[in-house]
Amino acid sequence: MIDFSLDPELELIRDTARQFATEELLPRHREFEGARGLPPEVQRRFAETGLALVELPESLGGAGLGALARVLVLEELGAADPGAALALDPLGPALYPLAVFGGEEALVRHAAPLLEQPGARAVLAFDPVPELSEEAGRVSGRLAYVPSDRIDLLVVLEKERAYVVREGLSLGPVRGAGLRAAGAAEVRAEGAPIEASFVNTPAARESLARARLYLAALLLGVLRAASEYARSYAVERVAFGRPIAHHQALAFLLMDMESAVAGVRALVHEAAWRLDQGLSAMLACATAFTEACEQAVFVGPNAVQVLGGHGFMQDYPVEKHMREARALSLLLGGPDAARDEAGSLLVRETGPIELGAREP
Amino acid sequence: MDLRIDSATARRLEQVAALGAAQMRPLGLEADRLGRPIPADHPFFATLVRLGLGRTRWSGRPGPVTGGGPPVEGEATGARHFVCLAEEMAYWDRGVAVAFPGPGLGEPPVLSMGTPEQQERFLGPFRKPDRPRWAAFAMTEPGAGSDVARIRTLARREGDHYVLDGEKSFAANASRADWIVVWATVDPSVGRAGHRAFVVERETPGLGDFKIERKMGLKAYESTSFTLRNCRVPAENLLGGEEHYRGREGFRGAMRSFNATRPAIAAMAVGIGRAALDATVEFAREAGLSGDPRVRDRIERAHRKLRAARLLCHRAAWLADLGRANMVEASMAKAVAPAAALEAAALGMEVLGAVGARGDHLIEKLFRDVKAMDIVEGTGQIQRIVMARHLVNLPRDA
Repeated sequence: MIDFSLDPELELIRDTARQFATEELLPRHREFEGARGLPPEVQRRFAETGLALVELPESLGGAGLGALARVLVLEELGAADPGAALALDPLGPALYPLAVFGGEEALVRHAAPLLEQPGARAVLAFDPVPELSEEAGRVSGRLAYVPSDRIDLLVVLEKERAYVVREGLSLGPVRGAGLRAAGAAEVRAEGAPIEASFVNTPAARESLARARLYLAALLLGVLRAASEYARSYAVERVAFGRPIAHHQALAFLLMDMESAVAGVRALVHEAAWRLDQGLSAMLACATAFTEACEQAVFVGPNAVQVLGGHGFMQDYPVEKHMREARALSLLLGGPDAARDEAGSLLVRETGPIELGAREP
Repeated sequence: MDLRIDSATARRLEQVAALGAAQMRPLGLEADRLGRPIPADHPFFATLVRLGLGRTRWSGRPGPVTGGGPPVEGEATGARHFVCLAEEMAYWDRGVAVAFPGPGLGEPPVLSMGTPEQQERFLGPFRKPDRPRWAAFAMTEPGAGSDVARIRTLARREGDHYVLDGEKSFAANASRADWIVVWATVDPSVGRAGHRAFVVERETPGLGDFKIERKMGLKAYESTSFTLRNCRVPAENLLGGEEHYRGREGFRGAMRSFNATRPAIAAMAVGIGRAALDATVEFAREAGLSGDPRVRDRIERAHRKLRAARLLCHRAAWLADLGRANMVEASMAKAVAPAAALEAAALGMEVLGAVGARGDHLIEKLFRDVKAMDIVEGTGQIQRIVMARHLVNLPRDA
């Protein structure tokens, strides 16, 4: 029967992630942003936690856990610094096409080498248009933005296939609207050789769903941090003779931000649970990501608003929350692609729409 | 984590769905068209009683209450079960669901505050009712809605009776009720400390002037206003007896009954919204609009907001079943779900276009029906105040 509790093992993982994020990332997030990366000792200490490997199979040194474990970790890291979360994750959401299309063999061949090199980064690009065109096993074209200053492995996901590129890419640094701790670059490919290619439409959809959930969990962390920061500020800051949180106009806004975060968390957890249960989860993942993107534009800017002039200043974290939530929302085709997918799934079925959580 | 429902709940939902499709939805549409509540002698109600509905959850002896109906603290799965049922009932017709015979909102205060003798007297006839029976709950007054401390119905002691004088508004099923839990004050100057709950029985002299209000929606059940004029109620009808009201316990009794039902009311909103969503999708398919991105975006948005709202309802109910504090979560669900459901209906009407403006489509009815859900059992604004009291220590005078 409906039960939102977490197993002790999952609680432990979440607490480990929270501790690392609070102690190692949060105090230095502006430093990481300025440096466009994390110092090696932070990367080493994160590697020691094993948190980047929760979803990897045990044969590759991972914990073999599921999507729920992953979203719990990502929420905690995202609450401290989502750019750092990306920088610390050698595979990031690029894990999913490799694992879903190619299974353990593809992981061993393409992903395992990155785990040996400190600071290595795989990048996932969703390219439905496509922006990169293929000719005789080589791709050319441009990706306007990836959140990284290096690419050790580029995984390109299209509507029906995924392919892997390792060489022949040139990166031009760009400023980045947010997530600068992860780096920011434009990518050009000129006849870059495709190292491996997989065609499988259901795998493409599942990979995209999992990757969207990854972003939704990071967004959830950012939104939580923004909402909580604004709330604690509003309890301290006094205007017109009382804490500003005690003016109803702001109290109501803060409560709506709180509800927005809780709604995103519920959708993220439900989607992760469905993935782990082997239930259909494309709709749930697209829905969680779309809601996270939409609430990013509500919670982020309003957190700045609650702090007033201070919110606009970079001495406070909320302007960073606002920018980073926006940047995260624009990855993987953004909310439009997710909304399109969810909408088409909803009108395709016959009979009543099942809202999801209840079906046995 | 497990977000499935148990098989017992699944079976009950199937039963509700069968009853809903065959009876509730058509009766709700008919009541809406005729503009009046389903009469108390309608054979549908007798059928429900034969099916074993309309009964009390009171077991007939002191101790925890089990079975269907509103949640009771400490019960293992009752709140979740009830939230699922409430949503499904409202999916078919929320107005008809409120019109169902039974002790209704009168039951929680009798269960939580009543003495064993009072429970036997008032809930006993609802154990295996011989005919459709109703009870009712009357707190709201013309001048006292969300601010229940403002109630002005007076109760003064005269020998072994209390004499009640005042007006009550919008009480569901009041004119057909065997008894009504009436909230009154023994001293308006002391606010909530003066509040008392009385069980006022039908035919008590001075209880009268029943006026069935004309509503925008939810027409299948009666929302009734009435007056109490020199209405003499036996002292043994004071719920819990005088000792129950030492300190602020009296008001807390009322708030407890609100709190227990909030996730379920929110779930009813989800049910109404889901009905609108299904009707929207059906219309879009039949009209060949499924490929229109604007139509699909509206359907996607309605689905997304309802899906999140349902999870918040379930979460609040789960906490209630664990006996854990759920004030913030219950209020959050109640703040979020009615808005999500109203939007689902409003977006549905946009998909219908001019068909939605004709005034004879299900979605148009749901659009009117669902507005009440942001008002009853604490408006959306009150829910935000409750949340803010817990999360930012919002003072009572803010």
